[in-house]
Amino acid sequence: MSDRVREINTKIESIPDVKLVKPFEQGEFDINGSIFIFIEGLEQPLKFDVSILPQYPFRSHNTETIKFYNEELLEYKHIMGNGSICIHTAHSPMLSEKLDYDIASVKSWIRKYYINKDIDIHYEHLIVPQKPYKDRHYAFFFNEVDYIFTKNQFGFVDYSIINNGIFYIEKITSNILQTYYDRNKKLLTDVKWNFQLKALNKSSGLFIFIKEAPSHNHRWVFNNWDEFAALLPQNFLNFLHTTQESYQKDTGKQLPLFVGYNISETEIHWQVVMLEIGNFPIYGERVNKQWLTFLDGSKAVFWAMTRNCSYKYFFGRGRLNEKITNGKILIIGIGAIGSVVAKTLLRSGCTKIDFIDFDVKEPENVCRSEYNFFSGITNKTDDLINQFCLISPFFEPTIGGYNYSEAFDFLLKSHLTDTTIKSDIEKRLNEYDLVFDCSADNDLLYALSQLNINSTLLNLSISNHAKQLVCASERNRYEFITTQFNGSVLKFDIDDLYNPTGCWSPTFKASYNDINALVQFAIKHINLRFERDKALRNFVIENDDSDCLTFKPKEF
Amino acid sequence: MDKSLHLETVIRTHQITKEKQLLEKHIQKKNEVKEALQENFGCNIYSPFNSGSYAKNTAINTKFDFDLVSPFKRNAFGSNGTLKEMYEAVYDFLFDKYKIEAEVKKQKVSIGLEFYPDSVGDRIKIDVVPGREFNQDQYKDDENLNLYVYYKYGNFAADSERIKTNVQMQINNIKDRADKEKDSIRKIIRLLKVWKNTKYNYPTKSFFIELITIKAIDNSDITGKLWDKLKTVLEYIRDHVNNEGFTLKDPGNSSNDLADTLTDNDKQQLANDMKNMLERIEENDENIKTYFPENPKFKEEDKNKNKYGTNGGMPIPPPKLNFGLEK
Repeated sequence: MSDRVREINTKIESIPDVKLVKPFEQGEFDINGSIFIFIEGLEQPLKFDVSILPQYPFRSHNTETIKFYNEELLEYKHIMGNGSICIHTAHSPMLSEKLDYDIASVKSWIRKYYINKDIDIHYEHLIVPQKPYKDRHYAFFFNEVDYIFTKNQFGFVDYSIINNGIFYIEKITSNILQTYYDRNKKLLTDVKWNFQLKALNKSSGLFIFIKEAPSHNHRWVFNNWDEFAALLPQNFLNFLHTTQESYQKDTGKQLPLFVGYNISETEIHWQVVMLEIGNFPIYGERVNKQWLTFLDGSKAVFWAMTRNCSYKYFFGRGRLNEKITNGKILIIGIGAIGSVVAKTLLRSGCTKIDFIDFDVKEPENVCRSEYNFFSGITNKTDDLINQFCLISPFFEPTIGGYNYSEAFDFLLKSHLTDTTIKSDIEKRLNEYDLVFDCSADNDLLYALSQLNINSTLLNLSISNHAKQLVCASERNRYEFITTQFNGSVLKFDIDDLYNPTGCWSPTFKASYNDINALVQFAIKHINLRFERDKALRNFVIENDDSDCLTFKPKEF
Repeated sequence: MDKSLHLETVIRTHQITKEKQLLEKHIQKKNEVKEALQENFGCNIYSPFNSGSYAKNTAINTKFDFDLVSPFKRNAFGSNGTLKEMYEAVYDFLFDKYKIEAEVKKQKVSIGLEFYPDSVGDRIKIDVVPGREFNQDQYKDDENLNLYVYYKYGNFAADSERIKTNVQMQINNIKDRADKEKDSIRKIIRLLKVWKNTKYNYPTKSFFIELITIKAIDNSDITGKLWDKLKTVLEYIRDHVNNEGFTLKDPGNSSNDLADTLTDNDKQQLANDMKNMLERIEENDENIKTYFPENPKFKEEDKNKNKYGTNGGMPIPPPKLNFGLEK
């Protein structure tokens, strides 16, 4: 017996209310044994077969490397399909200490779910086996729609492939659900995604809303079609039959079936079954001189993966304050500062973002802004719109683009005294809740200060070496910025500028990290102001790297 | 940098007389509205009079409007007529008369007339404040008026649809004091208005600024040059406006507390703004230009700055020092 096995046996025996039923022995890979665990409230101790993996006490792939099995507990919460308890315990590099934690965790599970039969408030997804269908996995992303499905409603869907990738070591095709139609292919509702996703080529699938989860104990998804027998109405089986007939020329190809059910009173979840045309789980039988369609229960169900990508889940892990995310936003100037602001807003839940910038992206811009090398020389607005469509399915640009940007700059600067054009520009800008001017264009700054705009207008610029970030948010933004940068207020190096080869217009020196650190700090400050419902004030963030790096915000 | 000198320049560039044309347009339009009211309401109305910052000599030229107090007789709308009926009657009259040429809107105690921009883009704003004497024919003796409160502001007049006040006493309060303090009060009030105008929708009303300035001066040792005096007022506001029990009595009716026109958050924000302003100016004199900018329209040229021939050398254009967009 190895020292490790001996230590496990000795430790287990020393834990109160735990008894060794079958001492631990070294298997081919794992160390296996059986134990009784008793806690107050149990009539009898519960028996668990225990496997300890070689990595123990370390976790592997975010899961514990000790398993406690009891197949008789399958009906309880947080039990995996193989009968193991789902536990997550604290880290310890000491085997003995980790065993203490893990046994305590099993005891806690017994109290909570076996004895008290607690029900968790949050929804727990069904356990769906992740097996490839034919040569690959399939994943389908759906979004909540403004439509109420009724029980047993069925019809067609459109979906689009968004990517072919690799799922660990196997192929995977990811798709988005696009549209729901009724059985006569009349539009029921459209799924909202960004305009590039909506423009993808579409393929057909089927859907049925069965209302109840296709599962046992609300945990394990059905394995065979016979388990569906009570849930699928006869007219749906007939629909499967006619559909298969009409798709005869595509025999052998897959046809996804979206199976919908409620996970709360208002929320729907969809699982997808991969059907093969020509091999649907149905058969026909003549009954009383009439052909009827029956479910072929012997066939296995091939489940694909699904993900609810609706806004609240997509941005569920963190987003900016609603006053920002719900707002319509315009970013003028999408260079080193503006592109970082734009991408941060996008990833933080903003959807309605427009850009104004008449510049083109050059390879040397890539190192400190949110552009890719791969797209070469192209208009910044077009490049960023393309990129943002790849990031957020909810991105909704409305205006922008090169022509709009040129017109905006020309009209504003050349017609500032023309009351009609000025008023038109004001009207357009007032459609935005937030306008970020990141152009560092002092002429534009002046021109904008002459307009009567109700939108929150923020001007962001930085000094050389990203020593300071200046954010103007008040009516006096022109005086504020010109005063800060007049040479007597903010102190920074004005000589060590970067002179691009072949260009005599020097620019500031600062890395992506330098700029991003300041911009993120500024956005956090702005967000906090919104969160606390406080008025925005002009502010300067200065970094002090004389000793340990610090950022000092100063409000005006 | 001489901060007091800068502040004097700021006041000069904000003198209302510099906007002669606009001022004359306001006066002309004010007289027109006044005559229209008198003609329409006849013997039921006393002579409307100007009560705003222009009357108090505290106006600035970047943002000004005229307040036209319109005192009505007690029985102007019947012996049982209500203040609401008075307010609505004045609104209806002004709306009918000016709806084509102005936006007519109901405001807290007044009816706002915002005339659409004329051919040179000037906008004239006149607020008509209807008020009613307490008892029939008493106004000429005591000048007391009841104003109708269209909607409540902060805690002010929270329990009532009316505000009792004496507008003439409000005007005199500033005018009398300003003369005694050799114009310091007026200058500080104007500077605070310039500062307020650097913000969007600041909740403090001009009347609040006037009263708090007078209170600060009454309760502090005001000496030195203009900046020293202004600084003392700013410090007073910073230290007191958010204190429990801080009041600002309306000289027209001591039971009106103007401090109640601000919420607790507003007061906290005001105190913070004063604190930030004092700290930033303390850190660097130049920052005073941000808080108290000259009116660019009448900016006075710095005679020593960037002139050809200065110091006998070539003029150097100022460099661009703020960045953000890649080039």
